Amino acid sequence: MTVAQELGAFFEALLFIAERPLTTPEMAHLAGVPAVQAEASLAALAEDLEEDRRGLRLQRHDGMWQLVTAPEVGERLAAYGAREEARLSPAALEALAVVAYRQPCTRGDVERVRGVDSDYVIRSLLHRRLIAEIGRRDTPGRPALFATTFTFLERFGLTSLDDLPPLSTEAAAATALATMVDADGG
Amino acid sequence: MQPIPIEPEAAGEPVATAPFEVRLEVYSGPLDLLLQLIESRQLDVLTVPLAEMADAYVAHLATQPVASEQLADFVAVASQLILLKSRRLLPGEPPPVAAEGEEEPDEEELRRRLIEYRALRDAARALGERDGVSPIFRREPRESDLPEVPSEPLPAGLLAAALDRLAAIPEPVPPPPEVVKREVTIAMQLAMLRAALSARGQVVLQQVLAACRSRTEVTVTVLALLELVRRRQATVQQDELFGPILVQALAGEEAT
Repeated sequence: MTVAQELGAFFEALLFIAERPLTTPEMAHLAGVPAVQAEASLAALAEDLEEDRRGLRLQRHDGMWQLVTAPEVGERLAAYGAREEARLSPAALEALAVVAYRQPCTRGDVERVRGVDSDYVIRSLLHRRLIAEIGRRDTPGRPALFATTFTFLERFGLTSLDDLPPLSTEAAAATALATMVDADGG
Repeated sequence: MQPIPIEPEAAGEPVATAPFEVRLEVYSGPLDLLLQLIESRQLDVLTVPLAEMADAYVAHLATQPVASEQLADFVAVASQLILLKSRRLLPGEPPPVAAEGEEEPDEEELRRRLIEYRALRDAARALGERDGVSPIFRREPRESDLPEVPSEPLPAGLLAAALDRLAAIPEPVPPPPEVVKREVTIAMQLAMLRAALSARGQVVLQQVLAACRSRTEVTVTVLALLELVRRRQATVQQDELFGPILVQALAGEEAT
């Protein structure tokens, strides 16, 4: 076993026993290697799991990692887990999409895009732990900033936010423009 | 469905007024409604003159009212559309230039919002299609996943010391005897009503209640009466509103 393989095996085992997502520095510290090296090793491990079509994947979100099952086996695993989740309403999905693509964002941001009061759907998304408050924006009223969670990635079978399908280009431009307008308007 | 041709020259003939039988999906907001109205006519959101959608939008709102808590949001978009339309109808009136720092709701702004909304709506639909389809699972926390594990073994003396401290805690004082006395029970009032009925055959409820000493007793007496009625040992009768309520014993009342 090479040193790199040994490090990868250690991280794989560590993530297997971990009961919560672990940060890169945390894992680097446990392995006794610099964070940069841990980062590279974890990225390689994630790639290996995917390329070898294994039943497990490395999921990454917000600087944290967790070992999860592969989306490909999810459908059949759901029979074992027997998790019956109520389907999300179109309104809840819309609000969730705004948060997913423009995170971190406030309730006001969601309402600007949807053009409709979104207090209730935001609360239901928080309750389902699909989004979480991660801080407050430094503007008048200090509104809460929301971002998607690991639960969101799990439910939608995403290994990381990079797996989100890209918005259409014209919309991406509009989103960029809106962000600029928001920044100007304060 | 035939696409309706748009002719920019025919500004006096708004396309939106053409009778149109379209069933819209349930819309989730004012922008969704406007977008669905545009798309159901197979018009392009990038080019359609939004002013021409004003009539269809208002007509749709009139036939399918929205929840009052959302109404303001719908009216806001309706008023923007009507403003755009009225500007078109007044020739020679150039659209006002937005003053600095002032938000003039012009057509391009609304179009930009529509385009942005459309992209996120489509993204939401795509998300909805993969909702729970191939979920990812993580290891469920086990009971042994304690939040913190002591790094060094604890001395056994610590446990003995803790037990000592526990022994020093005085025994809890026994609670005082019950202070609230139950004065009236349904059984008591049942017996009272039965005695009255067997003595006189019938009683007036108001008179019985007048003898009660507390609100609780009144409540319990009425409950007892209802119990008698349920057991078919008595009937109640009231001939007029707020009139006397006559309670009469039924035959076979002794069977309890």
